[in-house]
Amino acid sequence: MKLLAWTLAGPTIWAIVFSLVYALHGAGCALGWQDVEAPLGSAHRLALTLAWSAGLVACGMLLAVRPAGEGREAYLPRAGAWIGLGATLFTLFPVVFASTC
Amino acid sequence: MSEAKFVPEIAPNPPQRALALHRQLDRVWANGPGLWGQITAVNHTTLGLRFMGTALIFFAIGGILAMLIRAQLATPQGAFLDTDLYNQFFTMHGSIMMFLFAIPMLEGLAIYMLPKILGTRDMAFPRLTALGYWCYLFGGLILLIALFAGVAPRDGWFMYTPLSSATYSPGINADVWLLGITFVEISAICAAVEITVTILRQRAPGMKLTQMPLLAWYMLGTSAMMLVGFPPLILGSILLEVERAFDWPFFDVARGGDPLLWQHLFWLFGHPEVYIIFLPAAGVLSTIIPVLCRTTIVGYGAIVAAIVALVFLSFGLWVHHMFTVGIPHMALAFFSAASVLVAVPTAVQVFAWIGTMWKGQPQLRLPMLHVLGFFLTFVMGGLTGVMLAIVPFNWQAHDTAFVTAHLHYVLIGGFVFPMMAAATYWMPQITGRAPIKGLGAAAFWVILIGFHGTFFIMHLTGLMGMPRRIDVYPANPEWTWLNLTSSIFGFVMTIGFALFALDLILQALMGRRTARNPWRAPTLEWAMLLPTPSYTFASLPLPQQQDAQARLTLARGEGALPGAARGVRELLVTDAGTARPDHVAVLPGNSALPLGLAAAIGLFVLMMLAGLYWLTLPALALVAALVWRWGRGMAFTRDHAPVTVAPGLDLPVQCHTPMTLSHTGAVCLLVANGTLFASLLFGVGFLSVVAPGWPAPPPGHGGVAEAWMIGATLVALVFGAFAVRLADRARRSGAGMLAGAGAGAGFVSNLVALALIAWLAGTALDDPTGHARDALRGVLAGYVGLHAFIVTGFAAFAFDQARRGEIAPSRPGSLPGWRLWQDYTAATALIAAAIVLWQGGAA
Repeated sequence: MKLLAWTLAGPTIWAIVFSLVYALHGAGCALGWQDVEAPLGSAHRLALTLAWSAGLVACGMLLAVRPAGEGREAYLPRAGAWIGLGATLFTLFPVVFASTC
Repeated sequence: MSEAKFVPEIAPNPPQRALALHRQLDRVWANGPGLWGQITAVNHTTLGLRFMGTALIFFAIGGILAMLIRAQLATPQGAFLDTDLYNQFFTMHGSIMMFLFAIPMLEGLAIYMLPKILGTRDMAFPRLTALGYWCYLFGGLILLIALFAGVAPRDGWFMYTPLSSATYSPGINADVWLLGITFVEISAICAAVEITVTILRQRAPGMKLTQMPLLAWYMLGTSAMMLVGFPPLILGSILLEVERAFDWPFFDVARGGDPLLWQHLFWLFGHPEVYIIFLPAAGVLSTIIPVLCRTTIVGYGAIVAAIVALVFLSFGLWVHHMFTVGIPHMALAFFSAASVLVAVPTAVQVFAWIGTMWKGQPQLRLPMLHVLGFFLTFVMGGLTGVMLAIVPFNWQAHDTAFVTAHLHYVLIGGFVFPMMAAATYWMPQITGRAPIKGLGAAAFWVILIGFHGTFFIMHLTGLMGMPRRIDVYPANPEWTWLNLTSSIFGFVMTIGFALFALDLILQALMGRRTARNPWRAPTLEWAMLLPTPSYTFASLPLPQQQDAQARLTLARGEGALPGAARGVRELLVTDAGTARPDHVAVLPGNSALPLGLAAAIGLFVLMMLAGLYWLTLPALALVAALVWRWGRGMAFTRDHAPVTVAPGLDLPVQCHTPMTLSHTGAVCLLVANGTLFASLLFGVGFLSVVAPGWPAPPPGHGGVAEAWMIGATLVALVFGAFAVRLADRARRSGAGMLAGAGAGAGFVSNLVALALIAWLAGTALDDPTGHARDALRGVLAGYVGLHAFIVTGFAAFAFDQARRGEIAPSRPGSLPGWRLWQDYTAATALIAAAIVLWQGGAA
């Protein structure tokens, strides 16, 4: 089960961050965060970028601490961490440029 | 990370006479005689075939509906069907193909195949398999009878509100869909639980996760997706049915609801559904391609990683079905990016299969023809999927025939062609007979030509602006010839499917006897008699016996747990991670209980459909009584001696261990349940934040009295959690009386919680028909109330077990299961209470 847990850790981080960013996006639009000035333009974009960055850092840390080993037992956790990192990077990069609401 | 070192060396058993073992095992595992024997069958081989056979019948019915649709659309202003009938037919075509063909077909494949490729004798919960089948059959029959009675659903297989609301869809048509499909979904959840448990806990000793056949990985991914993917739709269906039946306004804009909530809940299921269907098909391809190319699969690890990526990413795409509803640019960009990204793991698999063919020596035998048909069709469907993931193109093509073409390329390419490959590949295994030469190939070419003639053309029809789901269209010369062509080729395709079915029937009835392993495949399903005996393996494969070569060794009982000397259905349960032998599970035998329980659930559904809501209560009481009886059938009344599995390896029977198959199954079920609750929280958040008509008007009830009642309910449920621990501690120390007292205390406290919730709902919550906020609070109270009822039942059952002496120091009985559910109930009640109080305070 350790193998499964390590393999699923990266995609799980993506799933959590994706849900969090989508929820923050909806909540921010409803609460008018886009009109509150802050670094990066608005409080809304700042919150979204911080959440995205936290996800990237978490995936990066996962890559750093994943267990060593050989063969498929080592490959799958490594692949899982890269899937998490790649998916977080690619699916949420719009937080830095797209109009928020 | 290396876990294999924990699996001890297991010596083989001494050889025995294979025929004697066969007779001994068959007496224990075979179905009973006659019709009653078929009704009470719980064997996975019987039920797997029954699932697949029934799914094929529904496929034929769905296909006939498709032909009626194409007949209507063959000419402009067609008069073949009226609008109402046309709407019923296209709704039923989609619903049947998705819910009554594709999902049950993959369930049947998994149920039939998994025990055989994993080296075990049956699925983890044979009665659950049977219950799933009966729920599927009865739910499907409800839909079918409605079709013949002219009251079939007519709002599309997606049942969008407000079209499907009571205002715009009066009558029972929409209810038939909501209740019938939810009934069928019980079958999907049953299958998902047992597929997961079987793969995790019943692999042959020493078969590590990284060594199991790829088909098992695909099925594990599929079952995980079903556990998480189906609950949002089940919740949505319940909410919409409650709105239609009792006027609780979850989707009514005027009273704080929002139709978009339905779309979110539906597509939270609906998009993963595509991958739920595709993954098993891909598992078939990963099994067949290396065998027919005389080589091994290229990129096993990469394929497993791709499965993991698909399982997760497919849950991040659902909004691409809603690109045109008015969503901010940033959210569009998230889901567009995810929709494009999901093509990567799909492509990894496609390239792995191409690499395997490149590496090996492909043989153009019948299953391989269907594999090539898959490549041609699915890749095109995947590419048009990437086109639709791009927002500006999606806006142009949305709701046109282009999307119809795309989804058929994906579903027929990604599921039907691989399933036809699977059928032609495994028919010798199923029937013990070889195919009739030539007919299968003819069927393949007719289907391929008919399919592309129908649907390739349809891309153009869509790009020329023809909308989907219309029954008549103007005599636009650009559309007319395209539609006529699609209709003609549609009939060609149908002829092809009829030929395919004829080929299977002729093979089953008239085929000559097949060789034992006609494809020279390495996997374990070929290491047994053909057709498969009721017990699958006479002895279970040890680490050195896990391929088709071990057929004789296993038949002679040289594997683990040979024969059935104790006269009960036994199999080996292994550790989820290491596949180390853990204990011996005794499975229930043939039983009519699954049929009875499915009939009781069906009675509830019929009472709801008839609007006889008070009569649903006796039906529910019957369900509860049968569930109790189900549990009684699993109770162990005395200690059992360890079972000798192999020389020097004695293992306990399941009643002496807490980590049973049932425990793992309960965890899986709670994962599904937790997803349903999370979907409900999503609904609360979505309506509170996005829906118009909020904030809600101040509540008329509530305040301090409401807070006290909620607090008292929580205390009662938390006390129940203490009680189960107390009972378990007393059980371990041998104080049977005290264990019974703990169970009794838990029963009383849960009963108090149940009464408090009923009182709260009756006196302290506002009329749920007034505003979506109050409807949501009502649903939260109902959810916690249902769980309070369940844990009350658990406590009563444990009390009864203690009274009968079935709970002992070495036998935990139902206490581990009760503890899981009690903790879950307390936790969800806490969250629900916080929301109800917060909503009251906020107002």
